[in-house]
Amino acid sequence: MIPLAARWGSGGGLTCWEWPRREQNLIATANRNALSLTGITKRYGSFTAVDDFSLHMPPGEILGFLGRNGAGKTTTIRMIMSIIYPDAGSIEVLGHPRAIDVKDQIGYLPEERGLYPKMTVEQTLHYFGRLKGMTRERIRAAIPRGLERVELQDWLKKPVEALSKGMQQKLQFVVTVLHEPKLVILDEPFSGLDVMNTEVLKNLMFDMKQAGATVIFSTHQIDQAQRLCDRLVVINRGRKLVEGRVDEVRARYASRVITLSGSGDFGSLRGLPGVGPGEFTDHSARFELAEDRDPQQFLQDALARVQVTRFEVQQPSLSEIFVRMVSEDDARQGDAA
Amino acid sequence: MSKVFTVAFREFIEVVKTKTFLFSSVFMPLLIVGLMYATQWVSELAEDEAQPVRRIAVIDESGQVMPVLQERLIPYAEENPTRPLEFIPAETGEAESLSQQIRDGQLYAYIRILAGVLDGSAGCEIARGDAQLQMGRRIEALVSEAVKSVRIQQAGLDAALIARLQTPPAFRRIDAKTGDETTGNEIAQFMTPFAFMFLLFMGTMSISQGLLTSLIEEKSSRVVEVLLSAVSPLQLLAGKIVGMVAVGLLLLSIWGVLGYVGAQARDVGYLITPFRLTQMVLYFIPGFLLYSAMLAGIGSACNTIKDAQSLASPLTILTIVPMMLWWYISENPQSVFSIVLSFIPPITPFVMVLRICADPETPLWQLILTQGLLWASVFIAIWAAAKIFRVGVLMYGKPPNLFELIRWLRLA
Repeated sequence: MIPLAARWGSGGGLTCWEWPRREQNLIATANRNALSLTGITKRYGSFTAVDDFSLHMPPGEILGFLGRNGAGKTTTIRMIMSIIYPDAGSIEVLGHPRAIDVKDQIGYLPEERGLYPKMTVEQTLHYFGRLKGMTRERIRAAIPRGLERVELQDWLKKPVEALSKGMQQKLQFVVTVLHEPKLVILDEPFSGLDVMNTEVLKNLMFDMKQAGATVIFSTHQIDQAQRLCDRLVVINRGRKLVEGRVDEVRARYASRVITLSGSGDFGSLRGLPGVGPGEFTDHSARFELAEDRDPQQFLQDALARVQVTRFEVQQPSLSEIFVRMVSEDDARQGDAA
Repeated sequence: MSKVFTVAFREFIEVVKTKTFLFSSVFMPLLIVGLMYATQWVSELAEDEAQPVRRIAVIDESGQVMPVLQERLIPYAEENPTRPLEFIPAETGEAESLSQQIRDGQLYAYIRILAGVLDGSAGCEIARGDAQLQMGRRIEALVSEAVKSVRIQQAGLDAALIARLQTPPAFRRIDAKTGDETTGNEIAQFMTPFAFMFLLFMGTMSISQGLLTSLIEEKSSRVVEVLLSAVSPLQLLAGKIVGMVAVGLLLLSIWGVLGYVGAQARDVGYLITPFRLTQMVLYFIPGFLLYSAMLAGIGSACNTIKDAQSLASPLTILTIVPMMLWWYISENPQSVFSIVLSFIPPITPFVMVLRICADPETPLWQLILTQGLLWASVFIAIWAAAKIFRVGVLMYGKPPNLFELIRWLRLA
């Protein structure tokens, strides 16, 4: 194993996180997944929170773990972290059957997160650093770099309760990655973050990926995932709906989305052949068009009903694919019930 | 293991640096000792305060006691200069008007010495308006001494000789274990088992409070899951328990030293024997572990101190049992009831410390069996607490009841 001597450096304007390259490390683990879940199931009484869920995550990538609230994301993450145990199935984290064995190599930011309000920033980082198996010297060296990256270096001696909510969130993130983990798991990392801090966090995630770390983050904000992740997995009602690289998933669900605007009764377009679900207002419409329907032919039909000033044929956004997948799954589940 | 100690160290420091700990560890025992001295001092002060003459009417139907009673007032006045008395002769038929005078405050009391008092066929009556214990006893003693004196005179005996013959012999009290002379402070000796048990009780209560507060704070500030990203639930639980036991040990050491210094100052240092101290520590460690584990389980399931305290109330009630029965147990350390109480694990440490301090000859098999039972319950409690902890620590909302907690044991 090559020690991760992450360095913080100044890179013109914003300081940037310079993670050491771990090519050799990557070669060593290339044949091994950073994370493997095989058929894991978790039940609470009669309620099945996670149902036969499998996932195989190669190292060095960013995975978006998507699902609406209550879909089973947090339960899955807690099972990965050995906080709760699955009723069935097996888990392998960084080559070990239990995350407990490699907790010092994992950085985990839970959805329900907080810090000790009375502890100072320095005490907080020391305490969690020690808990993550760091030596005092290593912690002392890592603290200034970590705080500088999120512009909290002047707050070292202040109690956590004196920090604003945004600052506390940034400190949370430093706590999560201070020990330079190989696997970073972030549960809803963007919830409650303002635009500036969201950008800081995204940059950090990219930097970690650059350095060879594997990053998994769960979110229900699909737009964030589209811009950030290499791979994604969608979970609904505890079951996996889809998994793959972002472009593969988009290609798999490649239908055409028509956007048009102008004046007239755009709601009347719903009645035309091939028009799928979408948004219809007084001045515009955005919807999926059936595969066998020619867009030009559709435009001609539409012009008979409304005045069109703009017409566009697009690939669907991840958000639209997500809504479609989940709606279809819900409909299937409803039928089955 | 180092993570357990990291958690334990933080727990220890967080509790020890609080004002509550300073108060309960140092000020509280000082306050108790101070209060004990203060009450003694106030009562001595009250004894020195001069009081007005108490007038007491005496109806002497025997016709012989009154002159002796008047004579007795002279030595009484010398011994009790601040509590003067005056005896006024009265007639048999005046009882009703005397009662009225007592009610009006002109008289303190009246005494009726019946005619048959000298041959023992009758007694005396005393009527008072208040219920002061000491004064009543003093007056009764004066009258009965006078009656006895008249009886001795009538029998033609030498009163001084009889008084000399009846002088009780002096006792030297020796501790058979050490061979040292005890100072004869029986109250201190009698209170020693209670003092040892009370120490254990206060220690347990303090750490319970500390443990519940720290758990609830961690849950309400949502720091628990951040902790669980670095340590396992069992490590977190173990760290908390070890930290709290260390707090308890520190507390006991402070109180032990203060108690020893206090006992030395009062010449009862011989009561704090190495045997008693050893036994106390031997029962303290599993006792604290047991309470910490049970309270950690309860605390992890709740979100407010109030919920946790109400869920822990059966346990609190159980700890009060030895507090209520301490007199009985230390007077009857080898009774069947005391022995049975020793085998109820949560109260075993308290009952055994009481019994051992009251009677060092507690059979060895009982010491071994109670220790074994106690340690077995410690392991069961930690196992159960770890299961409940795993489920409860990430659960927010309505606290569970005892039946739900038992269900969690199967769930985790």
